[in-house]
Amino acid sequence: MIKSDEPLFDDDVASGQAPSSDPAVRERIRRLIDEQPYAVLCVQGGGQPYGVLVAVAFSQDLQHAVFSTPIETRKYRLLSECNHVALVIDDRSKKADKLMEIEAVTATGSSHLIERGEDFDRWAELLTARHPYLKSFSRAATCALFRIDVIRFLHVVRFQEVCQWIPTAHS
Amino acid sequence: MDSDRPLLIPLDAPGPLDEKIVGGKAAKLGRLAHAGFRVPKGFCLTIWAYEAFVEDSKIAAAIGMELGRKSMDDMRWEEIWDAALRIRATFLAQPLSDLLRERITEASSGFGASTPLAVRSSAIGEDSAGCSFAGLHESIIGVRGKRALEDAVRLVWASLWSDAALLYRKELALDPAQSRMAVLVQEMVDADRSGVAFARDPRDLRKERAIIESVPGPCSLLVDGAIDPDRWEIDRETNRVITWLPGQREDGDETPLLEPRDLEVILENLLSIERLFHWPPDMEWTGRSASLTLLQARPITTAPPDTDETRNWYLTLRPGDARLKRLRERVVEQLIPELESEGDALAAEDLDLLDDWKLADALEKRSETVAKWKQIYWDEFIPFAHGVRRLATYYNDAVQPEDPYEFVGLLRGQPLLAAQRNRAIAELARQLASNEALRTAIENVLERCAGALQWPDTREALERAGVGAESFIRAFEDLVERFLDITYDHQRLHDETELLLRNLIELCRRPDSLEGGSSAPVDVASLEQRLLDAVGPERHAEAIDIIETGRVSWKLRDDDNLLVSRLESQLLRAIEVAASRLRERGTLTGAGQPKREHSGLLARALRTESSDPIAFEVSDRPLDAEPSTRSMGETPRQLIGQPASPGVGTGLVRCIRGRDDLSRFRSGEVIVCDAIQPTMTHLVPLASAIVERRGGMLIHGAIIARELGIPCVNGVRDAAELLEDGDFVTVDGHLGIVAVGEPEFDLELHFESPGAD
Repeated sequence: MIKSDEPLFDDDVASGQAPSSDPAVRERIRRLIDEQPYAVLCVQGGGQPYGVLVAVAFSQDLQHAVFSTPIETRKYRLLSECNHVALVIDDRSKKADKLMEIEAVTATGSSHLIERGEDFDRWAELLTARHPYLKSFSRAATCALFRIDVIRFLHVVRFQEVCQWIPTAHS
Repeated sequence: MDSDRPLLIPLDAPGPLDEKIVGGKAAKLGRLAHAGFRVPKGFCLTIWAYEAFVEDSKIAAAIGMELGRKSMDDMRWEEIWDAALRIRATFLAQPLSDLLRERITEASSGFGASTPLAVRSSAIGEDSAGCSFAGLHESIIGVRGKRALEDAVRLVWASLWSDAALLYRKELALDPAQSRMAVLVQEMVDADRSGVAFARDPRDLRKERAIIESVPGPCSLLVDGAIDPDRWEIDRETNRVITWLPGQREDGDETPLLEPRDLEVILENLLSIERLFHWPPDMEWTGRSASLTLLQARPITTAPPDTDETRNWYLTLRPGDARLKRLRERVVEQLIPELESEGDALAAEDLDLLDDWKLADALEKRSETVAKWKQIYWDEFIPFAHGVRRLATYYNDAVQPEDPYEFVGLLRGQPLLAAQRNRAIAELARQLASNEALRTAIENVLERCAGALQWPDTREALERAGVGAESFIRAFEDLVERFLDITYDHQRLHDETELLLRNLIELCRRPDSLEGGSSAPVDVASLEQRLLDAVGPERHAEAIDIIETGRVSWKLRDDDNLLVSRLESQLLRAIEVAASRLRERGTLTGAGQPKREHSGLLARALRTESSDPIAFEVSDRPLDAEPSTRSMGETPRQLIGQPASPGVGTGLVRCIRGRDDLSRFRSGEVIVCDAIQPTMTHLVPLASAIVERRGGMLIHGAIIARELGIPCVNGVRDAAELLEDGDFVTVDGHLGIVAVGEPEFDLELHFESPGAD
């Protein structure tokens, strides 16, 4: 249970270290994303950052995320100006008094408007499978569907422990 | 709030005390007091007092930060101890509320003005038949005065998070947001006899036998194991003494400590308590016959013994002052001189003169010697190493410094073997720095030898070069003989002259690193005075003794590793001689080198005229590390550990996993390793920062880094696996953070998605 003392003289046991007990970062990211249906979408316009909560769904390989937004919104306009975005997902709501246990993921990447057509249905289905109540909303004429191509994830736990995972690196 | 959720309840308050509010110990004592048993006067601080204190001071978050730094299953006991020390300091730094102080002052007015108090933990559910967590939490006796009482209360609260309690965190269901601790404050009763008693034999509750143990003086002497008690087994029905075992007393007196009437009264009390509670008690008592006073009663635990051997072993590692003092005497006066002298004797032996049988004997003897001293290391040196930890808590309790590691200043300047070696190495490097011709000659030799340097040839080459190498050669050989007869990475450093020469060249390129530490100077005398002032004149002798034990303990924690390593080096020397002889004879084949564990095999071969050939092939080093996760796209960007030495350092990572890495190390790099060992501390001055997997504020790397003013973060999970040679890192020794790579967003800015619009 506890790690025993280790002599500092040259001893065989000195190198016998147990592997850490944490699962792989990509698994933790996947778990957090599975648990949390919403994310803060971070966009920018004219040098001004802007954040907004969105209902989001990720592809199985976590290389893409999808969300929808009415076209009259500020975020739609800002996304039209600059497609560099980030998504922030965390579980602070259920661990408010346990700072060291809160997990957060920042996904950075670029957003792309999905035009109506075959591709649109595929991405819309991904979103509505996760958020069935958004079915009519996301298919409304004034609603735009965006795909985010994720370039990297930054996973944070224990307040300051950060690990990067690039989902395309092993595909 | 105070009426519904009282902060304090007197033990003799009307009505039963609720165990969930005052803890098991206080609730049972309250019930005994109501039933007419003699119990010391006192009161209890309820869990609501703890709750209010924790809420006011926001301590739960601080505890969460300490315990959440990494999975506690990954923490070594040294890290758990550190976490507990910092939590303890956090509790001590928070004032009690005015309301609670008022309540304590009111309740204490019932005590005699000069009567010392006992302040004891009364945790929820700590004493029941199914589990026993006795000794995990703190009890403080001999408390006098208002300030000392308030400190004692905070320390007992803090002991809910003691290192021992943290080891049992799962069984205790410890949770910073949920766990509570009540505290019992009682007058101490001064009596000439005290002890423990069991209404039934704890080893077999079916037997109609009670057990009584007694010591002369307070009960704490027995509980701490400081005195061997007299012990009686008594027939519960007839009061007949079945056996009596006298305790070992220094004066050799074997008169029983208790009279028959004393035993009768204790047994009567045991049986009355059993009737009251309906369970056979385990009781602590003091005083005799009519003045018998009960200090505690709880069910005899029937819990099976803890099967976690490592945890049990750790719990034995907290020797009291008396045992530490005995250990100090034995370690300093007997063990270390013996260890040194055995090392000297082995080093002086000319193995080449021994015939095969005698060489085989020497091999076996050396192997046994190493095994014997490793056992002593675990059994005596490691427990004695707790002298430093005792100094830490003693200093912090008395001085209550802002930095819980201020006491480390008291350890400065000890004549450690490693420090003596480092000074000798620095002196040699200075010689090289001031003699360019010699330095160039050595650099040329190193360039030509390409990993196959032979010292006799090198010495000859340097002498021939006429670069004034004579004094350097003498000092170099003296250094190797005196300090490098040790092992590292399963090799004798004595044979690794090339490594030392490469390190010297590197050291002399950074003359500033030879000047010693750049950390703020510590005025050791003023720290000592601070402690003496805090404890008061009546405890000066005790404080001086604890400082001295701490210093000796710290020095030997370093030295004993090197001295045991010397024995191993001498075993390797005998193995080398044996292997060479067997190779000549044709009995040993293959290009591999026998190791320590082969000494028995070699000894048998030496004794057999025509043994079958033994083949040792070169095997690749086993890979300790898991395969890198970088191939899967995962990259550490920021790692966390303990802030072990303040400052910020940047540089390229050099992972030190073996001696080859030591020779590759370059000035200005960041050392990343499992643990800085005493054999490699001479390189530390060259490092821009240190990152260690092994955690602890009192481990070698941390102490040396602080002395030299080099940033250090330790306890970094999988440090040497996650980081790779050449990674650029920023080591923040203030916060315990290792940031990997430069901050950049090139990836996002230059990424062109195939499907981009």
